[in-house]
Amino acid sequence: MVGDIAGKFVSTLITVVIAVAVSGGVWVGANLLFNQVRTAYVRYRALAWGACGFGVGVLFSGNQITAGSISDGGGLSSFGAWVWLPLVTAVAVGAVGAVLAVITEPLIRHVVGVIGLGAAGGVLGGLVRSEWRPDVAPVALIVITLVVAAIPAATAIVTRRDPLPGALSGAALGWVIGAWGVPDLGDGSSVWSVIAVAVPGALIGLRAARSPIADRAERNRIDARSRAVVFLGPALLFIFGALVVPTIRTVYLSLLDRDSEEFVWFSNYVTIFRDPKAIDLTMWSSMFTSRLFWIGIVLLVVFVVLGVRDRRQTGRVVELGSAGMGPLLVGGVLVAFAVFTTLRGTLINNLWWVLAVTLFSTSLGLAIAVLADGARFERVAKAVIFMPMAISLVGASVVWRFMYIARDSSKSQTGVMNALWVGLGRLSTGDGLPTLIVGVLVLVLLLALVVAVARRLSRGEPARAAAPAVVAVLLGWFAWRYWGVTGGGVGGFRFNDAGVQLADPINFIQEPPFNNFWLMVVLIWIQTGFAMVILSAAIKAVPTELIEAARVDGADDTQIFWRVTLPQIATTIGVVVTTLIVLVMKVFDIVKVMTNGNFGTEVLANNMYREAFSNFNTGVGAALAALIFLSVVPVMFINIRRMQRES
Amino acid sequence: MTTTMNRPAQRRGLVDRLYGLLRAIPTWVLWTIVVIWSLPSVSLFLNSWRARDAQRNSGWWTIGPDDLTLANYDYIFNASAASTIGESLLSSMAIAVPATIIPIAIATFAAYAFAWIDFKGRKVLFIATVSLLAIPLQVALIPLLQMYVSGAHFTIPWLDKTVTIVPDFDLVNTSTAVWLTHTGFALPFAIFLLHNYISSLPRDVFEAARIDGADHFTIFWRLVLPLSVPVLAAFGIFQFLWTWNDFLIANTMAGTNPEARPTTIFIATLAGDFGSNEHLLPAAAFVQAFIPLVVFFALQRYFVRGLLAGSVKG
Repeated sequence: MVGDIAGKFVSTLITVVIAVAVSGGVWVGANLLFNQVRTAYVRYRALAWGACGFGVGVLFSGNQITAGSISDGGGLSSFGAWVWLPLVTAVAVGAVGAVLAVITEPLIRHVVGVIGLGAAGGVLGGLVRSEWRPDVAPVALIVITLVVAAIPAATAIVTRRDPLPGALSGAALGWVIGAWGVPDLGDGSSVWSVIAVAVPGALIGLRAARSPIADRAERNRIDARSRAVVFLGPALLFIFGALVVPTIRTVYLSLLDRDSEEFVWFSNYVTIFRDPKAIDLTMWSSMFTSRLFWIGIVLLVVFVVLGVRDRRQTGRVVELGSAGMGPLLVGGVLVAFAVFTTLRGTLINNLWWVLAVTLFSTSLGLAIAVLADGARFERVAKAVIFMPMAISLVGASVVWRFMYIARDSSKSQTGVMNALWVGLGRLSTGDGLPTLIVGVLVLVLLLALVVAVARRLSRGEPARAAAPAVVAVLLGWFAWRYWGVTGGGVGGFRFNDAGVQLADPINFIQEPPFNNFWLMVVLIWIQTGFAMVILSAAIKAVPTELIEAARVDGADDTQIFWRVTLPQIATTIGVVVTTLIVLVMKVFDIVKVMTNGNFGTEVLANNMYREAFSNFNTGVGAALAALIFLSVVPVMFINIRRMQRES
Repeated sequence: MTTTMNRPAQRRGLVDRLYGLLRAIPTWVLWTIVVIWSLPSVSLFLNSWRARDAQRNSGWWTIGPDDLTLANYDYIFNASAASTIGESLLSSMAIAVPATIIPIAIATFAAYAFAWIDFKGRKVLFIATVSLLAIPLQVALIPLLQMYVSGAHFTIPWLDKTVTIVPDFDLVNTSTAVWLTHTGFALPFAIFLLHNYISSLPRDVFEAARIDGADHFTIFWRLVLPLSVPVLAAFGIFQFLWTWNDFLIANTMAGTNPEARPTTIFIATLAGDFGSNEHLLPAAAFVQAFIPLVVFFALQRYFVRGLLAGSVKG
């Protein structure tokens, strides 16, 4: 067992080391080659052309197109059979390249270029084995060559440059396509296969012979351009291979059926949107019986009243830190939650995730950043809040599953959340001393809050009274229930038929629709740390002169926060929000591990995974992926515009 | 006279004291949040040392010195039915190490080119590259998996000839497939982060080197790399945590091969068979989180710097 593991480890290590060494060697080699451009141009030309010749040789030899590239013997002889042709081609082509870099006499240049590369091509073509010889149709060959040659030539004419070099390269490319790409292979004659390789060789030779030897400026340009390719090449290769091309292909696959055989246009998308599991509006009327909805509406009404008053005084309905802001935000969130809990479905869930996680993470992160700023043990507090960022989403889901455990009412609760909830029920319905103490404490707190609100209102500072007022209302509702004015108490308890009081735990993970929110809590737990770190840095970067100036003008801490700090960090808040939106749109791990989309918690990413990799419905899976992609496109545009402004 | 003088003073004392308490509310709120935030991790950690029956019958807050046992850790390391967590830790390493080193190398080349090599269309290409930051990885999963299963082939329209672009290397269900995917996805962010840093290095240094006849390769090797060590460390930590903690890519590309799957899949599988192995989850989750937590606490400063450089500019 241990041996197996060690063996696997060593073999993986060796693979990685070899892969890194080979690609690193190629990269350094390319750099060393282009180092010669400015100092030793002839050597550079010989080496670069030699490398191109080697590449062509590998193409022929490696695909076993030429005679002699197949060897029956294994080991060194087969390696020799494979490598001799690339080496010979490299020497021939490299020699032509070196000569063209030295001799200036036009006639000799033309002879060497055309004859040299044409002959090298002809020899290669003559070596082509019979089963690869192309059955060339001359008319098609000429037409394709002319068409492909015309494109770069036309572009050159439009941009007022010499059309000949482009036309020659285009002709060479067109000839290769026409002679090797179009006809059937294996029926042709050896004459045609010689012509099929010799002509493009001669064309390229002609082009090289006609262009003058690079002067100093030209060499510098070659250096810069080749260096850009060498330095960017690997990154662009990976980005194209792993991001750009797959994204385009996913969009293409989303227009095909489940086995990618028939073209079905948008029917996969129609399937998704028609699915009652995606958007389910049937319950909409129960919104009006929801308590959340009406509390939210009341708060919005309060906002309108305050807004009208503010408008008379300041000319604006709402501004940062004004009295109407609190009711607007809280009311808006409550109404949104009411909407999300009555309208169900995958797409609605995703919207709910985006709103809840983005809002709570950002505002909590901002609050903690402000509270911790300059506090004692600031670093410790921030490290604790930030720590969940280091835990995997799978691990975090496991962590919270243990928080949410719900056990039968006859047993003791082992999950923290239910232990608290059931404990609260027992406390509020009990009649011992603890119940009384907690109850009195709640009343004292409530009284203090009411006094605070009254004092601020009497001083004519309604904006500063808003926050304690909201807390007072919540606490008042809690006290109301706790003292049993209606409902007989608060917390997890119920009475059975015989009138005996039992524990009534909440099944956080399985009770829709709020189980969605309990899953969101996991991500909020993780991402608040991210928001806090970034916003905290932004707050510390606000110039102290600004704050000092505001203080001299008589602003207090609250006013400084709303009117100075917040506008200063608005851009950073925007960055945090966009980052979180992108992250939340593709939330997958938490849902997969905690519910696998059951109990009404399905989201787009999990649905996509299920369709594509469990149901093997490539069409619908790709369409869902494309939808996730589409939903972040606006964010991408915002990012691009911001970057353009910054640079 | 004195009494009337004293009364307001006394009242101010009481109000001041109350006001002091009120002023301390933010601190209390902060530390309450801190306690709430650490509660889930603490409960997991303590539960991992409790035996199966103890976990099932009482909450972790009843833990006593007699409860402590190593049984859960012993089981997941030595006697786990399918495969042990030790194997999956090695698989995680086999994914996370190349998926950290290779993107750093490639992205440093590209960031240097975008910052200090003059070529046409540099700005457009840079913005195009970095705008790919937001691409959700789901959108590339299906084609990438198809490529790992059977290579990539392209049928040229009209000519009706199929060209093999990537041969079938039989990469599916190997850690190579996982880290190749990670490499591709890491690059836009890596280039963005490193470019921010490398482009802010002083121009004089480069010009002096150019005048002395140094080529781009020498400048990159002798100047840029040594100067960029902090940002390379920042990105390295970020990328290591990300790949170590990844579940989606690993599960898609290597999910069905017990030999190649990382710890995240090990835990998800353990969590999948409800009930029977629930008592092993805390220990497994803690083992999985151990390395990231060590990295995090030891190198937190670099990690934060990386996050900041990526998000806040100017």
